[in-house]
Amino acid sequence: MNKKLSQGRDTNIPPNSIAKIKDRIFKTVFTMLLISLAIGVKAQQRITGVVKDLSGPLAGVGVQVKGSPLSTITDANGKFAIEPAKDQKTVLIFSFVGYIKQELPVTGTQPLVVTLVESTADLNEVVVVGYGTQRKQDLTGAVSVVKAEDVKKRQATTVAESLQGLATGIRVRGGGQPGSEAQIQIRGLKNFSGTNPLYVIDGLVTTANRDFNPADIESIQILKDASAAAIYGTRAANGVIIITTKKGVEGPTKIDVSAKTTIQTIPRYKLAETNEFATLNNMAYDNANVKRQNLDLTTNTDWQDAAYRTGLVQDYSLSFSGGGKDNSYFISAGYFDNKGAVISTGFDRVNFRVNTKTTKGIFTIGENLAISNAKADEMSGNPILSVVRLLPTIPVYNPANPGGYGYGDEARARTFGTNPVAIADLEDRTNENLRIRGNIFSELQLLPSLKYKVSLGYETSRDHYSYLRKPGNWTLNQAYDPAIINENRGESSTILIENTLSFNKDFGKHKISAVAGQSYQRDKYAQIWGTKRNILANPSGGYYDVLDQGNEPQTGGFKNRTDLISYFGRVEYNYADKYLLNGVIRTDGVSRFGKDHKFGVFPSVSGAWRISKEDFFKVQWIDDLKLRANYGTLGSSNIGPYDYIAFINTFPTAVFGPGQSVQPGATQVRLANPDLRWEEVTQQNYGLDAAFLKNRLTISAEYFISRTKDVLLQYPLLLSTGNDGGNPYVNGATLGNKGFEFTVGYQDNRAALKYGATANLTTLRNKVIDLGYGKNKTFVGNTVTEIGQPIGMWYVLQTDGIFQNAQEIANYKNAAGKVIQPTAQPGDIRFKDNNGDGEITNSDKVVVDSPWAKYELGLNFNASYKNFTFNMDWFGSFGSKVFNGPRSVTDSFSDNSNYRAGIQPWTPQNPNTDVPRAFYGSTINSRGDTDRWLENGSFARLKYIGISYNIPDQLIKKIGFRNAQISVSGQNLITITKYTGLDPEFSNNSIFEKGYDFGAFPNLRMVSFGLQFGF
Amino acid sequence: MKKALLTLLISGAFVISSCKKSLLDQDNPNTLTQEQFWKTESDAQKGVNAIYHMFYQPGSWSRWIYFRLDLTSDEGFSKSPWIELADWTRFQYVNYNFWEGNQVSYRDTYKAIFRCNQVLTYVPDIAFADQNRKAQVLAEAKFLRGLYYYYAALLWENFPIVTTLQSPTDMPQQSSLAQVWAQVEKDFSEAAAVLPAQWNGNDIGRPTKGAAFAFLGKTYMQQKKWGDAKTAFDYLVTGAGASFYDLVDYKDNFRAENENNKESVFEIQFSDANKTAEGDGPSSNMGNNRAQFFAPRSIGWSDGQARNWLVGEFKKEKTVDGKIDPRLRYSLFYPGLEADFGDKTYGRSWQWDADEAWFRKYSRDYMRSNEDYFSQVNVRMIRYSDILLMYAEASNELGQTAAAYQYVNRVRQRVNLAPLATAYPAIGTDQGLFRERLKMERALELCGESVRWADLKRWGDLDTQAGVAKVALRDPDFNNFVPGKHIRLPLPQLEVENNKNLKQNPNY
Repeated sequence: MNKKLSQGRDTNIPPNSIAKIKDRIFKTVFTMLLISLAIGVKAQQRITGVVKDLSGPLAGVGVQVKGSPLSTITDANGKFAIEPAKDQKTVLIFSFVGYIKQELPVTGTQPLVVTLVESTADLNEVVVVGYGTQRKQDLTGAVSVVKAEDVKKRQATTVAESLQGLATGIRVRGGGQPGSEAQIQIRGLKNFSGTNPLYVIDGLVTTANRDFNPADIESIQILKDASAAAIYGTRAANGVIIITTKKGVEGPTKIDVSAKTTIQTIPRYKLAETNEFATLNNMAYDNANVKRQNLDLTTNTDWQDAAYRTGLVQDYSLSFSGGGKDNSYFISAGYFDNKGAVISTGFDRVNFRVNTKTTKGIFTIGENLAISNAKADEMSGNPILSVVRLLPTIPVYNPANPGGYGYGDEARARTFGTNPVAIADLEDRTNENLRIRGNIFSELQLLPSLKYKVSLGYETSRDHYSYLRKPGNWTLNQAYDPAIINENRGESSTILIENTLSFNKDFGKHKISAVAGQSYQRDKYAQIWGTKRNILANPSGGYYDVLDQGNEPQTGGFKNRTDLISYFGRVEYNYADKYLLNGVIRTDGVSRFGKDHKFGVFPSVSGAWRISKEDFFKVQWIDDLKLRANYGTLGSSNIGPYDYIAFINTFPTAVFGPGQSVQPGATQVRLANPDLRWEEVTQQNYGLDAAFLKNRLTISAEYFISRTKDVLLQYPLLLSTGNDGGNPYVNGATLGNKGFEFTVGYQDNRAALKYGATANLTTLRNKVIDLGYGKNKTFVGNTVTEIGQPIGMWYVLQTDGIFQNAQEIANYKNAAGKVIQPTAQPGDIRFKDNNGDGEITNSDKVVVDSPWAKYELGLNFNASYKNFTFNMDWFGSFGSKVFNGPRSVTDSFSDNSNYRAGIQPWTPQNPNTDVPRAFYGSTINSRGDTDRWLENGSFARLKYIGISYNIPDQLIKKIGFRNAQISVSGQNLITITKYTGLDPEFSNNSIFEKGYDFGAFPNLRMVSFGLQFGF
Repeated sequence: MKKALLTLLISGAFVISSCKKSLLDQDNPNTLTQEQFWKTESDAQKGVNAIYHMFYQPGSWSRWIYFRLDLTSDEGFSKSPWIELADWTRFQYVNYNFWEGNQVSYRDTYKAIFRCNQVLTYVPDIAFADQNRKAQVLAEAKFLRGLYYYYAALLWENFPIVTTLQSPTDMPQQSSLAQVWAQVEKDFSEAAAVLPAQWNGNDIGRPTKGAAFAFLGKTYMQQKKWGDAKTAFDYLVTGAGASFYDLVDYKDNFRAENENNKESVFEIQFSDANKTAEGDGPSSNMGNNRAQFFAPRSIGWSDGQARNWLVGEFKKEKTVDGKIDPRLRYSLFYPGLEADFGDKTYGRSWQWDADEAWFRKYSRDYMRSNEDYFSQVNVRMIRYSDILLMYAEASNELGQTAAAYQYVNRVRQRVNLAPLATAYPAIGTDQGLFRERLKMERALELCGESVRWADLKRWGDLDTQAGVAKVALRDPDFNNFVPGKHIRLPLPQLEVENNKNLKQNPNY
């Protein structure tokens, strides 16, 4: 450490070059130089000074006199005073979590001004691991830590959305629409039922959904492997994301304000305009020998212009924090408003949070409480597909149609495309919820080494969905509907009660810490709904959209409850920081399973060897070297509350008799598997951490193998079972995942230009080891899932170019000499007759490719110079094959839709193209189950780029501010890909069809301007 | 604060002690479990009622079955802009998993069979006060199971028979067409033995003995078991049931008024009570969507329409008082409708092409100017005139051509047509000529009533290339028809792939 400081001095401050000083040095460091250069030691040994970092004074920094027990900490203004015994060589040691320790010989003028530098790889960093913390250096499992600043700098509605590319092994697909949730997946698919990890916010098991304000985050830890997540046992199979919200620190009240404005734009297709459209459409009709449509050539509608607009996000937050010696508080408020990039969509959210804590004697009591209200104006229909299916010859408005909107017409524009402007107007959907989430906890320090904690958590959400249908049409030949209202109100609540006892003690070189606990959680949900038709129109416009109005009422409602009882324990042993051992066991009982299957036991063990601490380890250039290994089991019960119970559907009524009297019916509709049990993931993880060049260069590598057995899945049943209402869950398959994660980081903070880069690489392969119901394979859509292969491989017919002439058609024979496609015409697709029977049938389908990326890469750069900070994050995904659903519409010609601008269908005059001849009314060239629609899904994307400027201290001090920063940033601005769809980073909820882009809502391009200040 | 702390600690301790495992026994608070049901007479009644609810589901008789039976036949076709939907009415089956064309009907057939099998499995163990009532419940379930297998035999032919409750892992064996017919015969025979001759009050609409014999007869007809067919129909035509049946005003067979009349042998009871989505949710739709899908362009989806040759056939023969066959008026919307009968189409004058026609049966244009998904008009699955014509057909096939005349005449007389022998004296007792005329008599009487596909199959008109060519003159879609292949639908490909006991239908 000593060496480090002197090195810094040598490099930074050549005494003879004022110009260079000006260039490189913060003024505080300059002051230090003067101190160190000063000659002579003062006789009086009262030493005063102030400790700060780049953004201002630091409170709570430990100041110790070297070689003496004398120490103090800095006050709220970063000031300290200490009076060591007279000594010619007093050396002070300044230490603070997250900063590089400094040793400073006291030689100069006072007060001392000490600037601490944030550490890049601080091994003393503390990581929250669930029911406790560990030093990062003591970790034996795979844990990623994401800094709040990195999350905060992005414009995201949810936490999940902002995590992409910031940690290895995390795959995030954004929702895109205002208020929509992102999908997140940690270390591959463990099961078929969902990938969302467990979220733990301030100890409360919950979801960090759109109701949660990312601005309240203090830190995020991602527990990726079994040993790390095992303490959360049952629900941790998909990993755990632990979020700690901000707390106040000792000192006067700090007020922090941030405001951000973001402009969003949606990516667009290049589609044909009327002239080009008409030429192509006529060609398709002519080729099919069908009378041309009487196209309206005077209209040229750009449906994308009609459906899309520039979105706008406004995100404001304000917080007050502070505290005294025994108590602290953090109060925040936030407002988030998003005018969607699609017309008639939007989202807004109001948040409040109060976190407080107080200590008296051996008691500590605290609470975290968040209240939010979120409201989404939801999208109706799918405008992403509608803008493609509508023809440019259709006007947006047409007074001749009921409702006054333009849409398909039998004679002039045959399409069932939905007018997005009409549906936006005629269907209103809003979804609003009020969420209260909080916990209150109390700690009792029974002995210095023994602590008891009880925590009561409560979360509730009051949901209100409303739907209003106004009369009018948005598509051709639509059935008549009167004005209809539907409303539903739901209420969810979670109660979590946890008791934990923790023990921490050092016995010489032996350190032991242990936690034992018990937890009880109850989740409830209930909903009621009602619908009325023919609701009353308001003569002044609109409708009286309340359920009192109208007729033909329908109502309903239901409720659910799940109970979970758990017992858990963890023991950590540390010998001289060299050998680390960690054991966890958790047993969970859940009401979702039948009598004999409720409880599951999930153990894990892990160990680490800190080679660099060994005496024999004398490699100077390696600062730290650690090997880790662990093995553990996790569980999952991600099913509905009563899925193991076969139930009777009491809704199928029938009418009889002259009066058509409605008579009740009841029957079993959905099958059930009564012996459902815990799904179990067994994981092995091997890791290596190393640091070089004075911790400037760090690497971390992980290899993991996981195996999920008894995967709970809704396996598609045979239709002959007669099952409906959803496929029943079954402990069906066994899945395997193998992956490798590698992170390398370099951070150089020695000069005024501080810079760093991190690259992370994730490779992952999932494999089906066993399928349920004794099957070898299962087919869903265009995919097959087979034992020994990854899930959902593409299974389609293979195309083999285009027949150029009759000769080629006649010559295309199988081995027996049978002409394979006798009815084909020049310009038609040649399909591969893979089974050689001389016909193109379903049995010619083969596995052609994988929808899974071979590897994913994240790159993060940062640099700061003087008051400027620059950040850039790239994310890339390589090697997947994806199905372009929208292109199977725009390029098909069999049905009317708009076409890609510039598309070149085969004609005798234009044979050099990969698009077959345009042919209306037959799917022969455009069938959906061929490799024609598969594309390379690789991409690299600039997820984030941003620059911020810290307004200099001198300026802000004048107006009484503590700090102030302005920033400008962009998201998703550059995408490098060969994929011709809107967004290669789409998401699909079906695990069997992950690579199928059905016209998913794309990620938006965003440019943000931010202002942040504190006082 | 100490108080709060104390409360916390106490509650924590309380929770530890109260965390009993019994908390983990949570029953579904929303509905009965399987174990609680099938105990009482009322359960049995509800169980059988739930089978009828299947009529209201789209793969069954509220929507898509009409595409298979009416549009695939030479009476109808599709000009839908939804190409794949239209392709499935013209023998262009590319994706065998196409939901609307194939899977949903296959699925809903098994859903209905599952409901039948539940009744037939559980009800025998339920104690009834009235054994007769119990037998009737079982007979209803057998009738309905027979009905669904009848149409499965018609559509897919080699349709795996399932008569037991299936577990998620069961993979039924493939059945041959003969096996399916045998199952259908068994179900209808057993039902016919037990079902009452008539139902009263709020049970009207359940199948009667006559309905079971009618479908049993139809089943024999499809297998060309003419003698058995005639014997089955005897009950309705000459036997104990004859007095229950008669012919009524022709138009009353297709309207919401005068439902369950004397001509009705079995009909589906539709209702517009629930204007909601179809399915098994609360208050789900019990109406028919057919009219919405077949209504003319700009009124309904116009996914299906009638072939115009029917209009010409109707006009070939005048009534005895020189008028146009009145059945044309109630069968079709066609360009001359307003000129011939003074009727508009949903209140509009003809605005469609001169060579087009639309199905008028089951439309509600007599009472409203648009359609929706909730038509309350009952679908007459089998009516007495159909029985009479089949009786005539069976008689003719048995060589009793002369005796067959009277039944055809009864159907003709109702609409004021001359006796067959008067109108077509050339037929005489020529079995072949009589058969050919009967084919047209059936089309004119029953067009758009979902019987034509069965007729074409029974007559063997689609068995040879020459026969198909003849049909294609009326309906050019049959130019795509490959004999031996398109006579049955492909089985859903996913079902074939996921059931190792199943082979795809021949030539697919």
